[in-house]
Amino acid sequence: MNKDWRRHDYGAASLIKNGRMMNTPFFELRNITKYFSQVIANKDVSFPIFRGEVLALLGENGAGKSTAMKILYGLYKADSGDILMNGEKKRIHSPKDAMALGISMIQQHFSLVPAHTVTENIILGNVHGRIDWKAHEQEILELAHQHGFNIMPDKLVRDLAVGMQQKVEILKALYQNTHLLIMDEPTAVLTPQEAEVLMQFVRGFTANGNSVIFITHKLKEVMDVADRIIVMRNGIVSGDLKRAETNERELSRLMIGREIIANDEGNRRQPSKDSDVRLVLDGVSIEEHGQVPKLKGISFSIHRGEIFGVAGVSGNGQQELCEVICGAIKPTSGRIYVDEKDITEKEIRDRIEIGIGYVPSDRHKDGMVMDMTLAENMMLKTSSDKKWQRNGFLDKRELDAYTEAAIKSYDIKAPGPNAVVKGLSGGNQQKVIVAREVNTGTSIIVFDQPTRGLDLGAIDYVHKTILAEREKGKSILLISTELSEIFALADRYTVLYKGETQGIYNRSELTTEEIGLLMAGYGLERSSGNE
Amino acid sequence: MNEQFRDLLLTTLLAVLFGLIFSGLMLLFLDKNPIEAFGILFSSLFRDKYTFGDIFVKATPLIFTGLSFAFTYKANLFNIGAQGQFYIGSVISAAVSLSLQDEMPGALALIIVFILTVIGGGIWGGFVGYVKARFKTNEFLVSMMSTYVALNIMDYLLRTVLKETKGEYPQTDSLSKAVWLPKLVQGTRLHWGFVIAVAAAIGIWILLYKTSLGFRIRAVGFNPEAARMSGINAKKLYIITFFISGALAAVAGFTEVNGMQHMLVQGFNPNVGSEGLGIAILANANPIGIIFAAILFGILRTGGLIMSQMANVPSSIIELMQGFVMIFVILSYFVRSKLEIKREKSKLQKVAGI
Repeated sequence: MNKDWRRHDYGAASLIKNGRMMNTPFFELRNITKYFSQVIANKDVSFPIFRGEVLALLGENGAGKSTAMKILYGLYKADSGDILMNGEKKRIHSPKDAMALGISMIQQHFSLVPAHTVTENIILGNVHGRIDWKAHEQEILELAHQHGFNIMPDKLVRDLAVGMQQKVEILKALYQNTHLLIMDEPTAVLTPQEAEVLMQFVRGFTANGNSVIFITHKLKEVMDVADRIIVMRNGIVSGDLKRAETNERELSRLMIGREIIANDEGNRRQPSKDSDVRLVLDGVSIEEHGQVPKLKGISFSIHRGEIFGVAGVSGNGQQELCEVICGAIKPTSGRIYVDEKDITEKEIRDRIEIGIGYVPSDRHKDGMVMDMTLAENMMLKTSSDKKWQRNGFLDKRELDAYTEAAIKSYDIKAPGPNAVVKGLSGGNQQKVIVAREVNTGTSIIVFDQPTRGLDLGAIDYVHKTILAEREKGKSILLISTELSEIFALADRYTVLYKGETQGIYNRSELTTEEIGLLMAGYGLERSSGNE
Repeated sequence: MNEQFRDLLLTTLLAVLFGLIFSGLMLLFLDKNPIEAFGILFSSLFRDKYTFGDIFVKATPLIFTGLSFAFTYKANLFNIGAQGQFYIGSVISAAVSLSLQDEMPGALALIIVFILTVIGGGIWGGFVGYVKARFKTNEFLVSMMSTYVALNIMDYLLRTVLKETKGEYPQTDSLSKAVWLPKLVQGTRLHWGFVIAVAAAIGIWILLYKTSLGFRIRAVGFNPEAARMSGINAKKLYIITFFISGALAAVAGFTEVNGMQHMLVQGFNPNVGSEGLGIAILANANPIGIIFAAILFGILRTGGLIMSQMANVPSSIIELMQGFVMIFVILSYFVRSKLEIKREKSKLQKVAGI
């Protein structure tokens, strides 16, 4: 591809913001290349980061965004290439080196100590000898106040909401005198309202001449907050654009190499409401004594050929809901029925036999055995089934043929049935699980965030599969944190907040704003009452 | 695949060589000529068939205890109690042999002894799995402690019901020739126990990689959570795995008592469990690899003993050699994975045209 996307020349056209001249970039990556054992993660990646700008690093999962940033932060070592600060070459071998240069990175999974207080977490690694707690708490309060954060320094981190924990992470970075803050998918765990608070902070922080790098794959977020956008695809920089000069369409083209086809499924069949109920949850709760209830009085039913969506910020009981249906945990009260049979006390194995499939959100932990082959993962749930046995031994030929068929029909990019799944890309791993669960789940399939971390091609494929299974008359529970996914696929949906359902709605009954409020725990009555 | 096999051979040979060089350095400190000493070690192995056969005699129980550790390890469980299971197997073998040897033909007695040893050792080991499944106890600790219980049971029996008729030492009477494991090669001490050991290793390999039970054991070992979500009952597997593991270690007792000692002596072969653990690690818990690792240990033991006698070096040099060889073989795993990554990388670079 030619370099027509390089619309501005950094040498000549100086970027002016907040009245500063910025000829020399604050930081610069120059020809960074990084290999992992199986892939080229970064190939010749070069781009500058200027003072006072919000730079969005946009790309699909596996495009190499996080790798490039981990190199800048000293977590990985580049195989070749340089990092420059104010035009001078710098060696960054560890996060400690990076912090000394004023770089901080907030990982997708926070690195906080849950059993410690906010103060303890923030000063961790920066204090020696006797600690003057009062002084530190005061210092942190002031720092928080300065950036418009409302925080209690003596609270334990484990008692804080996720949005609050993120603020602690940010404060930890600020406490270390950070000038370049890298955030990996910072809004993934936030409600729309919390995300807005974060954006305000980002604007204020950069207004003081600091820089922020956002790693993201959400186009909308990029258009909201970024000044400049670096697009990555397959380990190379495929675009470097100013926000004002681009649009979502162009960005998506650069990101995936083609335009996103509008995801509007025309022929929707409205399932009949009164008959053909398949799955019923009746007042299902998980309440351990003395603990916050994980699920509280969940009641809904799913019909044949229906997709029932569950929206909500992750960590509000979604995983428990899935596990209670597939049998991994038993409810403390309430009943579960499939085709009018009570399955509440049935074990996982029995429920697999009933035909309940489950695509878990954490596929590495719950869904597959990474060190085993594709074929072995395909039979994970049916290993004692007669069809894989011949004379007491595993019938490898049968299994390989079965796997080969799945590889073909799901377009899984793998060398063959005996490839170890660890070596596959995330999207292909997910396809393996989907292929298996579609076969296992002959009557019900539970999808928990089935497209999380997948590239757009794979997302499209998973969506098509879900719709196809619905057409076959299966009942589908679709849990997603992406509202667009719920809107595109679900026939009816509910919102889960702190283990409770916030009403059941038909498709297109609510607006995005209304759902956002429900996700954040504001009941609709209250919000409409205020109007 | 070919490159990987070449790496395996090359790095392992180099590791053994390095192990010998380092233990040779230790000999230098003793003012002994290491080349001369190692010359004796290796030439003595081929001196006569008796010595050569002894390599495999020494390797036999180690194959079993190595398999015992490796098998539970595949399920991500730790059986540290192979020594105790070995003693339980020895006690059962000796007791049953003594009571059956005059009652029936030797071959039939041997088969019954073997079966009872498997069942007894299996129950002894399976108990560890049972308490883990039932009470969530730590299998590491329970299996380790069970060794002391086994040791004391053996002591107790050797001082009471199993005590020799002469009544002098805590040991049993000699078994009658009818219940000895037959010799594999005349003129050596090598008995059919070695064949049983090799068959067991192959059997365990088939069980692990060619049956659905083995598949489930490995799945639980790699990712217990995903296995649970797939409806695999890990608790049942804990018991089965420990049963098999205990039985394997117990059979080592059978081959030692009926094949080698022909009696039961208090506290004999006190390191067979820990050496088995080392062998399992050496072979990366691969059942077939365990055969070779045990033979390597057999070589070092047999040759080392003669070397220490003839070159007048302390016999503890044998353990030193085993230790050094083990360290370098384990290091060779890392070297191999580095080589593998480098190969993949250069392949990628070729494709990318860099």
